[in-house]
Amino acid sequence: MKHLDRREFLATSAAGIGAAALAGSFPALASAADAPSFRPEKDAKLDLLRWTAFVPSDQTIWDENTKKFTAATGVPVSIQSLAWGDIAPKAALAAQVGSGPDIIMGWNDDPFVYPDKLVDMTDLVDNMGKAHGGWYDNARSYCYDQDVKRWVSLPVGCTGNAVNYRKSWVKEAGFGEFPKDLDGMLKLARVLKKNGHPTGFALGHAVGDANSWTHWILWAYGGKQANPDNSIAINSAETVNALEYARQLSETMIEGVAGWDDSSNNKAFAGGRIGMTMNGISIWYNGKKDTPDIFPDFANVTPPMGPVKTHTVSNNFTSAFVFKYSKFPNAAKEYLRFMLDKPQADRWVTEMKGYVTPALKAYAELPIWTSDPNITPYRDALASAKYDGYNGKPGKAAAQALDEYVIVDMFADVCVNKMAAKDAVRKAETRLQTIYKRA
Amino acid sequence: MLRNLKIYVPLAFFGVFLLLPFLWMLLTTFKSNQELLNTPNPFWIFHGTFSHVTDLLTQTAFPQWFANTLFVSVASTVLSVFVSYIAAYAIIRLRFPGSEVVSTIIFLAYIVPPAILFIPLATIIIQLHWFDKLWALVPIYATFLVPFCTWLLIGFLKNIPRELEEAARVDGASNVAILWRIIFPIAIPGLISAAIFSFTLSWNEYLYALVFMSSSGNKTVSVGMTSELIRGDVFQWGQLMAGALIGVLPAILVYFFFVEYYVAGLSGSVKE
Repeated sequence: MKHLDRREFLATSAAGIGAAALAGSFPALASAADAPSFRPEKDAKLDLLRWTAFVPSDQTIWDENTKKFTAATGVPVSIQSLAWGDIAPKAALAAQVGSGPDIIMGWNDDPFVYPDKLVDMTDLVDNMGKAHGGWYDNARSYCYDQDVKRWVSLPVGCTGNAVNYRKSWVKEAGFGEFPKDLDGMLKLARVLKKNGHPTGFALGHAVGDANSWTHWILWAYGGKQANPDNSIAINSAETVNALEYARQLSETMIEGVAGWDDSSNNKAFAGGRIGMTMNGISIWYNGKKDTPDIFPDFANVTPPMGPVKTHTVSNNFTSAFVFKYSKFPNAAKEYLRFMLDKPQADRWVTEMKGYVTPALKAYAELPIWTSDPNITPYRDALASAKYDGYNGKPGKAAAQALDEYVIVDMFADVCVNKMAAKDAVRKAETRLQTIYKRA
Repeated sequence: MLRNLKIYVPLAFFGVFLLLPFLWMLLTTFKSNQELLNTPNPFWIFHGTFSHVTDLLTQTAFPQWFANTLFVSVASTVLSVFVSYIAAYAIIRLRFPGSEVVSTIIFLAYIVPPAILFIPLATIIIQLHWFDKLWALVPIYATFLVPFCTWLLIGFLKNIPRELEEAARVDGASNVAILWRIIFPIAIPGLISAAIFSFTLSWNEYLYALVFMSSSGNKTVSVGMTSELIRGDVFQWGQLMAGALIGVLPAILVYFFFVEYYVAGLSGSVKE
């Protein structure tokens, strides 16, 4: 692919301006870039609100790529970073008052809260998909609104999840490799516990960690929150089986998981207090810096399969949306296209070492994913992932259920409060019915 | 002996209960990262380090956040206490029609949570073009500080004997002269109490600073620390606690120097 510097951009711009005026885009650039460009509005300037980078290299490369965009287009971009949990209230305020950042990088179902207030991203999504090998299914789940029937957000990717363990302790437990199925994993967990290395899976209201592992187990047993018509489907034998499995797994866990937040398992794993957990790659990445003596013993693996015999990973999905109040929607689209285009995204993904798994399939071929076997499971995080509210309709109801930790609480009721699985399911069913009716 | 036990044992428990968070902050600030993850005794520092403090001061914008918070807290406190003093005096002394209703409305305004107010407030802020302007937090904070301070000062000023004002009025003093030369010296403990509360509330405020400011240069301590030192599921505990420790210093200093006035302010203006 040809790299386009500022001089070439200006020359191409002059040549293509007539056609662009008619088409509303920059067809002349289509030959120079992977996906057709959008023509920024005159005197455009952009405000981007994004989540605070999880690793410094994310911020550094994102900022460098942004400067490249400004140099190429003349469009200045101001970036505000906030903790990931603070994005939703800020976006809600912007939607409500009709003013705020032009582009917001949000999480999971955020765009479905105000789909009618968002710019149609269908053209950009189509172009990017064609140019970069297509999108993973999760992209459509989180960014295509079935009610307004259009893409309301541009999929970016996910902070994927994998099971993290200590190699020497698994070997000590008599396992040559990490088990491929949940039954094997439970056997391993029991031996680990016996050897003084309990497991640790969050059962508190941890946005990322608690939701991830509970949904993984639920889906692995074939449990579903809702049916495609959004009728509640949680009350099933599959859900009960998933809860019974979780109850047995919880017997191998360290004390205190009921109060764990998203940072707790990172700390416990790095401190050598647990032998197995589920997390994003941060737990491995930071081990290199914080605990270099035991870091070589850290390992990551794709979460084992349950009775459904497919991987059922749950991730935190991020996407970028543009509000209709923005005076510069074309500039915003062009910025997002530029940032996720190969010359920029290749370096961004590579330098982050697997922190964000792109939603565009072509980026799975980057050498970084196979540079270390512990990074590879995160490459595949989106390949078989399901979405919040599966198998129902993605949207407000699913978002609300996730926000209220219905699934996490159901697992905690069984694992911590020692409630009978059938009772916990009925309680969750009642809560879900209320939420779905309200939404 | 028994009397001492009755006094000091509960006090000791109370002291430990109150000071434990500060001790934890102190220990975490000076522990190495390795020790933060795993230690045989969490109440001891085996390998002390200043790196969290130096990193916080040199590698983040903490000094800027601190200066921003100090400016906003001091300015909003001065503004709110001044407005509240006048308002409280007007309500209890001028006896204008509806003064009781105004008093009740002011109190009700205080109990409406910011989470409900921030959206309509945002509409006003945007129309005034005050969005992302640091000084705008001063009048914004006044929206919850003035009702609180007015309510506090109404109770305080009510206890000042009316005879003092009447004597001044006989000598020809105007309302302004009474407010400044007669009531003000007596009201100082109450005003300091209101100021301490206002300063603390402003210093700790999070929601308005989060939603009404956008650029990095306008972040306050509470917003800056959560947005820069919490990276997904990785918390920079050492720097967070160092920031909390430094961040709490102004409030401690304010209480330390004005605690006597503060107690007097809460217990009434003029003793019988």
